[in-house]
Amino acid sequence: MFALIKREIQDHLIYFIAAALFSALLITLSVEAVFRHDSRNPPVVAIGLGVSLAAIAVLGICGMGASQMYLDKTRRISAFLSTLPVSRSRILLARIAAGILAILILLVPLAITANFLLRLFTPPIPLYSGMVWEIFTATFLLALACYCIGLQTGWNSSVLTPSLGGLGLTCIFVPLVVVKGFGPEIMVILVLFISASLFRTWHNFSSTSL
Amino acid sequence: MNENVIQVENLVKYYDGRCVLDGINFVVPRGCIYGLLGRNGAGKTTIIRILLGLEPPTRGRTTLLDAESTSLPAKIRGRIGCVAEGHNLIQSYKASRLIKLCKDLSLQWNDELFNHLIETFRLPADRRVRELSIGMRAQLNLSLAMAIDPELLILDDPTLGLDTVARRQFIELAIDIIQQQGRTILFCSHILSDVERIADRIGILAAGKLVVDCPLEQLKERVKKLRVIFPEAAPANLYLTEIINQQIEGREMIITVANWNRQKQAILDTFKPSSCTEIPMSLEDIFIECTKPNLESVEVV
Repeated sequence: MFALIKREIQDHLIYFIAAALFSALLITLSVEAVFRHDSRNPPVVAIGLGVSLAAIAVLGICGMGASQMYLDKTRRISAFLSTLPVSRSRILLARIAAGILAILILLVPLAITANFLLRLFTPPIPLYSGMVWEIFTATFLLALACYCIGLQTGWNSSVLTPSLGGLGLTCIFVPLVVVKGFGPEIMVILVLFISASLFRTWHNFSSTSL
Repeated sequence: MNENVIQVENLVKYYDGRCVLDGINFVVPRGCIYGLLGRNGAGKTTIIRILLGLEPPTRGRTTLLDAESTSLPAKIRGRIGCVAEGHNLIQSYKASRLIKLCKDLSLQWNDELFNHLIETFRLPADRRVRELSIGMRAQLNLSLAMAIDPELLILDDPTLGLDTVARRQFIELAIDIIQQQGRTILFCSHILSDVERIADRIGILAAGKLVVDCPLEQLKERVKKLRVIFPEAAPANLYLTEIINQQIEGREMIITVANWNRQKQAILDTFKPSSCTEIPMSLEDIFIECTKPNLESVEVV
């Protein structure tokens, strides 16, 4: 299993480097926003840049899932791996593990930094206990949901339909987060979506010809 | 433990409504070298892909080493070496990386044999797979398949793209493996002389059916090509069953018959031929006769 995960990481190293760079950029922006905080002049540029970078990062994660599956299909990687003592489920599991690792590389440093900053500085709005953890979990699930959309898009022979479907789903998820916030309800919805999406990807991946 | 390493039962495969395999049945016993032959598009690769679980069958059942092909466990896969048609390696990898990946994923790895093969074939490990020639890719694929000390070796046109020397090396190597007890080989090739040299059982696919499935020696005994000269014009009403091919020219009749036996000889004798001589047939001759497109359903089993 470790060899398969290592292979996925080496093949998609660019996404891991990009995740680390994005994380570093977002940390820099949030630290700068905290240090330059002025209630009369909020750091609009930094916040705007941060939101844009986060959106690009989410798209990148979706792209990573699509790239993993698409390259597998075009280079017939699984067809070769399946002649070795490896099952299709393990190939997919290793792929998803690599995707989760990329998401964690992006999010964990951000969560640690947010925790530090909240201890050092008084937040501008009152926070309840476990709020950072809740935001981190929901963001992680949102990123994972986007990754799952990417996995499905990359494996389909018709790119247009799943791409439009993915775009539509993203358009539903983002307003959902905006309206409902990062609460348990959105987490339940995301977990359900991720489970259904992963099951479909697994079914497609394990039943089609390689 | 089942003595049949490969079992194919009533295998049917349709592609876009077209029947590619129509009720294929055969078994490969332990230690047997089974040569699966057929013209291009006959369905040899499809059978191998179904056996390896890369392709789902439309109907039927296939097992490898007592495990269903559709759900081959990793432990069973680890006992099977495979050289695929077109040498389906990961083209973007360097050979060294591919070797390391295979080594890491394999359940057992014979370093000594692998290094010997790499040296014999003079394979450059620092080049990307796509930069290697077709012959080199075939050699690399073969070396990777051999390195796991496979109990079952599946070779789908393994000598495709190899030069004469490399092909000879491969055959010698295959014979070495055959000599090791308990090894079973399923071998597809277009080079019939290679198959004839190493196979001890032959299967011939034609029009989606397995028209031949018997030991090589038996095949040569059962399929007879005869030159029959009659005192007058050759009779048009010579009704023998399982005629593969029949050519009449004046007094001479050249007839190829499957499952030749005493009854058929007796029927032929009733026409009182002046002479009847057997024309020796190589595997290639038998293959050509058995895969003629207009051939009625004749099976040599």
